[in-house]
Amino acid sequence: MVLEVHNLHTHLHLKRGILRAVDGISLTVGEGETLGLVGESGSGKTLTGLSLLRLLPKGSGRIAEGSIKLDGQELTTLSDSAMARDIRGRRIAMIMQDPMTSLNPVFSIGDQVSNPLRNHNIAQGATLRSKVISVLTQVRIPSAEKRLGDYPHQFSGGQRQRIVAAMAIGCTPRLLVADEPTTALDVTIQVQIIALLRQIQADTGTGIILITHDLGVAASLCHRIAVMYAGRIVETGPVRRIYKSPAHPYTQALLAAIPRLGDKRARLQAIPGQPPSLIDPPQGCRFAPRCPARMDKCAEPPPTVTLADGHEAACWKLA
Amino acid sequence: MLALVLRRLWQGAISILGASVIIFVISRLSGDPVVMLVPPDAPPSLIAEIRTQYGLDQPLVWQYLLFIGHALTGDFGNSYRWQMPALKLILDRLPATIQLAACGLLFSVALAVPIGVLSAVHRGGWIDRIGRIFAMLGQAMPAFWVGLLLILVFAVQLNWLPAFGHGTPAHVVLPAIALGWYPVAAQTRIVRSAMLDVLDSDHIRLSRALGTPERLIVWKYALRNAAVPLLTMLGVYFAAMLGGAFVVETIFAWPGVGRTVVEAVFSRDFPVVQAGVLFTSILFVLSNLLVDLSYGLVDPRIRDVR
Amino acid sequence: MSASTLPARRIPWAALRRLPWLPLLVLGAVGIAAIGGEAISPHDPNGLDLSASFKPPAWQDGGSWDYPLGADNLGRDILSRIMAGCGVSVIVAFYAILFSGSIGALAGMIAGYFGGRVDAVLMRLIEIQQSVPSIALALILAAAMEPGLSTVVIVIVLTYWAWYARIIRGEIMALKGRDYIAFARTAGVSTPVIFRRHLLPNIFNTLVVLGTLQVGQVILFEASLSFLGLGIQQPDISWGLMLSDARQYITNAWWGITMPGIAIMLTCLSANIFGDWLRDRLDPQMRQL
Repeated sequence: MVLEVHNLHTHLHLKRGILRAVDGISLTVGEGETLGLVGESGSGKTLTGLSLLRLLPKGSGRIAEGSIKLDGQELTTLSDSAMARDIRGRRIAMIMQDPMTSLNPVFSIGDQVSNPLRNHNIAQGATLRSKVISVLTQVRIPSAEKRLGDYPHQFSGGQRQRIVAAMAIGCTPRLLVADEPTTALDVTIQVQIIALLRQIQADTGTGIILITHDLGVAASLCHRIAVMYAGRIVETGPVRRIYKSPAHPYTQALLAAIPRLGDKRARLQAIPGQPPSLIDPPQGCRFAPRCPARMDKCAEPPPTVTLADGHEAACWKLA
Repeated sequence: MLALVLRRLWQGAISILGASVIIFVISRLSGDPVVMLVPPDAPPSLIAEIRTQYGLDQPLVWQYLLFIGHALTGDFGNSYRWQMPALKLILDRLPATIQLAACGLLFSVALAVPIGVLSAVHRGGWIDRIGRIFAMLGQAMPAFWVGLLLILVFAVQLNWLPAFGHGTPAHVVLPAIALGWYPVAAQTRIVRSAMLDVLDSDHIRLSRALGTPERLIVWKYALRNAAVPLLTMLGVYFAAMLGGAFVVETIFAWPGVGRTVVEAVFSRDFPVVQAGVLFTSILFVLSNLLVDLSYGLVDPRIRDVR
Repeated sequence: MSASTLPARRIPWAALRRLPWLPLLVLGAVGIAAIGGEAISPHDPNGLDLSASFKPPAWQDGGSWDYPLGADNLGRDILSRIMAGCGVSVIVAFYAILFSGSIGALAGMIAGYFGGRVDAVLMRLIEIQQSVPSIALALILAAAMEPGLSTVVIVIVLTYWAWYARIIRGEIMALKGRDYIAFARTAGVSTPVIFRRHLLPNIFNTLVVLGTLQVGQVILFEASLSFLGLGIQQPDISWGLMLSDARQYITNAWWGITMPGIAIMLTCLSANIFGDWLRDRLDPQMRQL
């Protein structure tokens, strides 16, 4: 396994109290595997990604409990400087939402793509330059050699996202965390980026965690999916099974909310109600207040039920 | 880019022309300008000669045209005190003033950038708090008083640095601090808020996620972004230095345009006052112009837009 | 400005309970000294007493409480002179702010309301005005006229009207888009009435804030001019002038150049803090000023 996360708790210490943003999640990513981390905004999926890199909000955020192992090495106990030196950008890389703002406007892209390579002592001098060119070519930036001195504003949105990807994969990381990499892009570019991520994975065998709220994007790229709700994983399984036979009522509701081509019901099936406060979360199942299949037992923490090989869900209905 | 340069030059020329009108109008406020153009003890023959020479029997608009015509050919009249053309006198003193203003600006930026950056990085921390107190104080202390205090402490009490004069690098230290003191507060605030914005931006977050050392993130990747707003203001600050130089040069007996003009006011050496003020205005406009044109050096986006 | 209310906003009484008391105390003391004048000062501010020459402040060896802040080269009581200097500062601040505020506000209102060519001319004027350093302006004025209180006020007005005009212009342009102004215009309300009834009340808070923020700058400016000998003249007393005198005996008496400077600093500091406070209460959107 590239990544093994066990019982991770990430807390944000706010003035109003402790916000349990990630509340005991476990997940694994294998070599060359793509895991989709799916949920609404505020479900804790982004903070899960940041926890892997230990890049939590300064002062307020901290990992309270649990373990994160990368190739068997424990990350939660590593020093901050070791995280910056050996992990971030070197063995775990992250790319973010908005390609328009993810590149530094006042540095050339040559400088920005070579930055991680230089910081992690991957290459220097002429080797560095040829490496940068080859990475940019790999993400299909046309005539990369001539464009090293160009600045971000001289590239299109899709190209910028590919440059961001080039920065991330330059050091051939073991794990790539992609946080909503396609959200800010229009559909045709989304398709290109998804193809690019697939190609990167085929080339390097890197594990990918794709953080998204879009089940459609997740379906097109992921091998497995973990559905997060209110800081917890409610269902996880191979992508086919999740789409064909979603077990948890929340997953079912999410799938029902996807507009389908030729669907007679024109309106989106929005899930009624609001997610619970993570400062003072309900004792039992967190989805219970919004759940159509709510039972009395839901006031107690639901058991995790194994439905098939690799398909699990936490719900009393299945027990 | 060339169109921009030309447009700015044109605007600058208009401003300088306007300044010359202001100077002309004010110089005519006090009645007979001949009295100001000649020494108080001038004989009537000289007065009559100057009156025709400057066309003072002509209408006011014509007089202005004559004034600007003379100014354009570099003729501001002779300084009666120094017995030389006023323009030459001013040009001789100009380098010292520019040197002082540049050192003052350097001092303020050298202080404001680290304080601003550290205040932003350790927001709410002790540097931030001290910086804010410092800024409040700075805005309430006139440059000439800062100069006097500096002289009192470093020249009179400690005897570390010379209190006045010009020549060695040590001479420029106290005047430069006195001159650069006032804008430190405002510059710190600009750098601080720009850094706060940048440090919160997606590209800095990405740099962090890719393992860039914090030192490089702050002092290289974030600072170059945050420098843009400060740079856009540098012309204004350099101009402010030129204004402040009148006072600071007087305190420290710095042989620049400012002190020369102040002295000329007291000896009613009007040609020198006119030439000095017009030249300060020209420098004022030029420094703003240069900064406008140099944005592109720090911000690549602007290079292409315009 | 968030003023959608007509015509003026209510004064936030609740906020007054959290007044910045210390700065107000300082400003109050300056005001009392200015009004009281020589009647309340311990000594005649211009009274010579060579036996008290260079008397140090009370807490230092050789000092006495008769001269709490010490005496200058001619044995004049520094405290009394600082108190006398309050008067000049207050008068200069009052007239300078009154005139630059009214001229600037009127120009800004006219430019913002009528727009077009009037506006272009005004903006160009502001630009030109800003291309002459204000101290340089003061220098030619001083060379052309007798320096004194009125030249100081004229120079400050010439320097600051543009500052008011630019800000007020922006506010008026924003106000002009409001429905009730457009309605008043189509309903045939005359322009002076629109100015007085609809525009002025809406920029009133801004004017108050700008005026307060200008106090500190005016005091610094007056002190600088007087220090250079281009402002207040002997035998009138101003803080800048005191510093100019004290400069000659800087090696004999440190208190001579410190005490008036501290008076300037405390007054400006208080005015600035009070101005900031007022701005945050009345006009939070101007925070960038």
